[in-house]
Amino acid sequence: MSSFEKVGDGYSLDLTLDEAHILINLVEQLLELLGEGDFFHHYDTSDPLAQLLAMPSEIVTPDDPVLLRLLPNAYADPEAASDFRRYTEPQLRGAKQKNLRIVREELTILVDENHGGVIEDLNAEIWLKALNDLRIALSVRLEISEDSFDKFELLPDEDPQKPVYAVYFWLGWLQENLLGLLA
Amino acid sequence: MAKTLAKEDLSINELLDKPWITIVWDDPVNLMSYVTHVFIKLFGFSKERAHELMLQVHNEGRAVVSTGTREEMERDVQRLHEHGLWATLQRDDKI
Repeated sequence: MSSFEKVGDGYSLDLTLDEAHILINLVEQLLELLGEGDFFHHYDTSDPLAQLLAMPSEIVTPDDPVLLRLLPNAYADPEAASDFRRYTEPQLRGAKQKNLRIVREELTILVDENHGGVIEDLNAEIWLKALNDLRIALSVRLEISEDSFDKFELLPDEDPQKPVYAVYFWLGWLQENLLGLLA
Repeated sequence: MAKTLAKEDLSINELLDKPWITIVWDDPVNLMSYVTHVFIKLFGFSKERAHELMLQVHNEGRAVVSTGTREEMERDVQRLHEHGLWATLQRDDKI
């Protein structure tokens, strides 16, 4: 089983090719959902200057439940929430995209060379946030609740949702593994 | 005289401006260890204090993690959202 390791002051992650494929697949799907269809921006989307031109004319509360959970309302009051969103959502979205893009770049090397291997000297904080956002996204689709692990264990192997649950719990395991090294 | 008034105005404004709180809400996704980690990182809490607040979120469904001006709380909520925690701000209704 793959795991993070602490190497000197840095962190590394040993992945099989299959695991790298699963991760990059999810990362790219989430980047797309966050509105980044192509990955070749040469500017930093969290930069306020970039937002000057790239900011969409209208920023509204997302319909998609995954986006609403990743970019949540800051106020219970809908008017205050939408005002706040207008000014802050591009930056929040950009920060999440940036984390995912960095993780994607690191995974790309393994996937392009078509073998498993070690990602060295990775940024632990960025990986924690990216793994967390991936888990949040999957949890909304899987309707995860407190008793989901029990439910997962009872699912028959042929259930089409079983592998998705397995990926979700694997990501949680990875995140816990990295947190244990930081503590 | 005018100076004194201005000073009083300022302190009244500060009072009116002060009582806002940031609330973190429980969700079944964020790992307990991750929530504790984020509390330490963003607010500089001791390990014990961060753990205590995390348990409060987990057991009571919510916890107040910071208090201050509206602007400060907006910044805290934004940072919590960047870390995937579910947070909102509101006026402190105790006052």
